[in-house]
Amino acid sequence: MRIFYIVFILFTVLQLIACDGEKQIRIIPVEDFFKNPERSGYLISPDGQYISYLKPYKNKLNIFVQTLDGRNVTRITSDTSQNIGYYFWANNQNILYLKDIGAESGVSLFVVKKDGNNNRNLITYQNSRMRLITKSQAYNNKILVELNKRDSTVFDAYRLDINTGKLSLLVKNPGNFTGYFADYNGALRLALMSDGVDETLLYRNSEKDAFKPIVKNNFKTSISVLGFSKDSCIYILTNQNRDKKALVELNCNTGKEHREIYSHPQVDVSGGGFSESKHKMLYAGFQTWKNERSYLDKETKEMYKNLEILLPETEIKVIDQDSAEQKFIVQTFTDRNPGTYYLYSLNDQKLQKLSDVNSSFTENDMALMQPITYKSRDGLTINGYLTLPVNKGQRNLPIVVLPHGGPSSRNIWGYNAEVQFFANRGYAVFQVNYRGSTGYGKSFWIAGFKEWGGKIQEDITDGVKWLISEGIADPKRIGVYGSGFGGFSALHGLCFNPDLYRCGASYSGMTNLFSYLKGVPPYYKPYQQMFFEMVGNPEADADYFRNTSPVFHADKIKAPVLIAQGTKDARVNVNETNQFVLELKKNNIPVTYILKEGERHFFRNPENRIELYRQLDIFFTNNLKKY
Amino acid sequence: MKGEKHLYRKNFTLIIIFLILTSFFLVIGLLLAYNLTTKNVENEFSSKKIDVLDQTLASYNNFFQNKIPQISFYQGFLDSSLVSKYADTILFNFPFVERLVFYDTNISNHQILDGIRVNSFSMGPKTVYQFGREMPADSIVMFKDSSSVGLSLNAADEFNKMAVKFAGFIESADTTKALSSEDIFKIAYNISSGKITYMNIPRAEELRIFKDLMFKDQDSSLVYEQDLITFFLDPYQLKIKNTHPELYANIVIKPLVYESLDNNPGENVTETPLPGALADYKLYFSSHKGFLKHEINIRFLPVAISLLIIYITLILIAYLIFRNLHINSKMFELQYDFINNLTHEFKTPVSVIKIAGNNIRSARQLSDRERLHYGKILDEEADKLNDMMNMLLSFTQIENKAINLKEETIDMETFCQNIIDAYQIRYPAFIIRYRIEMAAYFKGDPVLLRSIFQNLIDNAYKYSFHEKKELDILIEKVKKNIVFTFTDQGIGIKASELENIFKKFYRIQSQYNQQGSIGLGLAFCKELVNFMKGTIAVRSVEGKGSEFKIILPMVNDLSVAKH
Repeated sequence: MRIFYIVFILFTVLQLIACDGEKQIRIIPVEDFFKNPERSGYLISPDGQYISYLKPYKNKLNIFVQTLDGRNVTRITSDTSQNIGYYFWANNQNILYLKDIGAESGVSLFVVKKDGNNNRNLITYQNSRMRLITKSQAYNNKILVELNKRDSTVFDAYRLDINTGKLSLLVKNPGNFTGYFADYNGALRLALMSDGVDETLLYRNSEKDAFKPIVKNNFKTSISVLGFSKDSCIYILTNQNRDKKALVELNCNTGKEHREIYSHPQVDVSGGGFSESKHKMLYAGFQTWKNERSYLDKETKEMYKNLEILLPETEIKVIDQDSAEQKFIVQTFTDRNPGTYYLYSLNDQKLQKLSDVNSSFTENDMALMQPITYKSRDGLTINGYLTLPVNKGQRNLPIVVLPHGGPSSRNIWGYNAEVQFFANRGYAVFQVNYRGSTGYGKSFWIAGFKEWGGKIQEDITDGVKWLISEGIADPKRIGVYGSGFGGFSALHGLCFNPDLYRCGASYSGMTNLFSYLKGVPPYYKPYQQMFFEMVGNPEADADYFRNTSPVFHADKIKAPVLIAQGTKDARVNVNETNQFVLELKKNNIPVTYILKEGERHFFRNPENRIELYRQLDIFFTNNLKKY
Repeated sequence: MKGEKHLYRKNFTLIIIFLILTSFFLVIGLLLAYNLTTKNVENEFSSKKIDVLDQTLASYNNFFQNKIPQISFYQGFLDSSLVSKYADTILFNFPFVERLVFYDTNISNHQILDGIRVNSFSMGPKTVYQFGREMPADSIVMFKDSSSVGLSLNAADEFNKMAVKFAGFIESADTTKALSSEDIFKIAYNISSGKITYMNIPRAEELRIFKDLMFKDQDSSLVYEQDLITFFLDPYQLKIKNTHPELYANIVIKPLVYESLDNNPGENVTETPLPGALADYKLYFSSHKGFLKHEINIRFLPVAISLLIIYITLILIAYLIFRNLHINSKMFELQYDFINNLTHEFKTPVSVIKIAGNNIRSARQLSDRERLHYGKILDEEADKLNDMMNMLLSFTQIENKAINLKEETIDMETFCQNIIDAYQIRYPAFIIRYRIEMAAYFKGDPVLLRSIFQNLIDNAYKYSFHEKKELDILIEKVKKNIVFTFTDQGIGIKASELENIFKKFYRIQSQYNQQGSIGLGLAFCKELVNFMKGTIAVRSVEGKGSEFKIILPMVNDLSVAKH
């Protein structure tokens, strides 16, 4: 008996050692990755007394309000047909909200008291769209909005009384105004004008004055307004006369730069913290391989220092604050953790946990996201991220290449459900900030112009080849998946690099550049010239369009394809996708076609989203794991 | 014997019936198979045309379903150079496309000269190009709205049809709904005889704009471009793919109304109309009767062969069954004989014993002579019975190979002398001479050998004339065999009987074997000799005598000799 006992113990110990070497991590169900967070959209009331958030009620997101201590929770809306898409505290009493309805079905703005009373519709317009100029507090119970109800191609600015719902025209768009900005007194003093190629910033001292142009730029140079400082100056992010966007204070009377506040040699300044009460910039934010801040305000720096002590080894993001800037809603995150919401009060430096974004898995189940760089064939340095699956080693791995959409966008470091979903299933995930991505300066962005089917795709290909040459990728097990432009890249790769990819998946990926340009909505008309310059002119560059659009080259595809498409997608024409799938099927290419009735560019229905990822899981398992 | 005959005759009738029936079925089967094959070929002749149609239309369908909708991919951005490339691939890949006419179309609310105008919606061609094989360069541009020459009615025909249809659709369209596939077919296609016109599918927003153009008073609008292409088709250029050359001798494309004038009764014809834009034409299939007959024969042949094989197999099986039955009836006959003979054989000694017993019982007293006489009779008859039973037993044993050979070295001289001495005592008048040459010893079973000797000597005695009972036995070595030759001066055997004498229960009908013979002796000898791997043969002249020759193999002759 004793001998058996010893043998048993030895065996168990050996097994434990063996398991430790090649520990199988838990496969997390699809739903856990892509479910909606239980609570989201945390905001704090201007007086700092209430916290509000969105939470499902009968399966639809509704607004809940609670006191700071977490008691006295009130559900203030009861919509069971549609999600609340956006809301904000207009003042200490009233919350304004928009329902999450389709882009084409019109606009409806509602107001409700914080105790749930007096819920009413402020304005409703069919076949119109609205943009908010005032994004947070109302000034004198009035907010500023843009509406295109007069002429669907242009937006006028209106002042809306949130008590009466009375709408008064503030600026009639002469036809080329593309944006408006209000100062901290709710006065509309800045407008952006574009003729498609050139962009002009207009300024007026008060609403009684006329707009006068202060800065004129080509669209390649951007200006984004962060806030009004004192003395007719504004804080802007701009790359005028420089390659990388910098935080600049601009004198609106002269149109000259007053001073450059912060710039980074490698990357654009991507944002900043602006204090409404102090009228000054608190910090400049920028993305190197990860999110970083350069503090411009001593107290802010101290506050973040304190937060970093309270919340070690995690990134911190301030989501909202009260008017006095004493209470903050803070969210943490890392590459392996979607994070947690906290309430932080500055005076007693106390941190109070509100909720987790997603508590279905632990950090240890998630994979590390590492920054990588490689040289493209023409010598450009390309940045990207590589997420290796946990406990699978570093060599000869199956790869999912995940080109980002846009292409005027970039991958950033942080938790990404798609990336972790694939890594959890044993794939290394490769993300590329190819040329044309934003954040790396003007010239890098412009290098992607008219290269959608050209050098951008070469950068992705070069990245994959680099992965192979480093021995990380198993050249026989590389798949590609993307949505929007990422889907275009995936299909492009399958058409023109048929030997590189074993399979590819496109989620609402465009198949045809002609259609993409044709699909520029009418209210984007001023931007058409810009699109011609960025993508190409369908008449002048017709051959290039034809030669690089996958829809014309379905016959070149040899590998299995997955395509997901919504029937109401305004950007990707469902008829063309049908035609494309038909041709693939005719050529005996295995096609998984997920066609969802009523869905648009991104699937809104959670069941459809879950099904998409379930199918992706099966698709990549069948093509990258079994062979 | 009666039953036997009856059995024979019945078998024969059955077999005759069987033969007639199978032959009848064979003929019926062949006829049915031939009819079915004919029906089958005729049915296929009229049904397989769908396969030919499918194959022939494969490229047309590819053109119609894949290549035409490609125009929509260009979203109205087509210009003459792009169309030229598109047209080249179409003309190259699809020989049945004769030419293309491309209407670069503008939609606006402007006043136009050519095209149609409904309220303030105007749709007119900006330029019209045509593309074909070997088309002179100057005829490519058919119309330009900047030139003073208007578009000819003929050239504008297809355009006008499409434009009217499209305007009609715009007028009644519900622009809030997505286009259904029926709508798409209605707007984008116009299919008529030999022509397909296609217009790129407008987007939902464009339909909304077009409707506004039609019904709302607006300033001079933007110009929206649509692409219309008319394909002129020549059905005669369709490449016919005869996927069933065995069925169809000729396939041609003919106008829908075509009827063959020569009403040749020997001609099978069938036809199927072409679809869509080719609907004025049909595929016309024809084959001579002889052509189909050939196909019928080819298909019938394997069926006929397999039927014949089945028939032959049946006949063969029937023959084998018949043969078995025949052998069985022979056996039956033999067994019947055997029981007959045996009963008879046993009957004689048994009745002698019965009579002797009766005599002894009924006699008052027996004299010594009588007692001796009856004693002798009883003893002899009992011996006879015993002999007969022994022989029967050993015979069945040998027949079933139930006894083992005992190998012993036999000294032939002693062996012969012993036997002859025994016979000299029994039959003093019987003269037996023997001669041994070069075979002093023989290795074998002495009991079996003795049986053979006894049988042959008994026979020689039995079938000899009273006055001439003589037997010569010659034992000699020939090569590796030992040969025993028994020559008598007896009655001999008829030539016709010679082949039967070794059969069981066979007895020559003669006065010499009246007492005690069951016809087993020679059969038994033959079995013994066969058992010892030897042969037995007979030669005889009727009235002069017989000679039996037994050849047995001599094993280990040398070692025996030394011994």
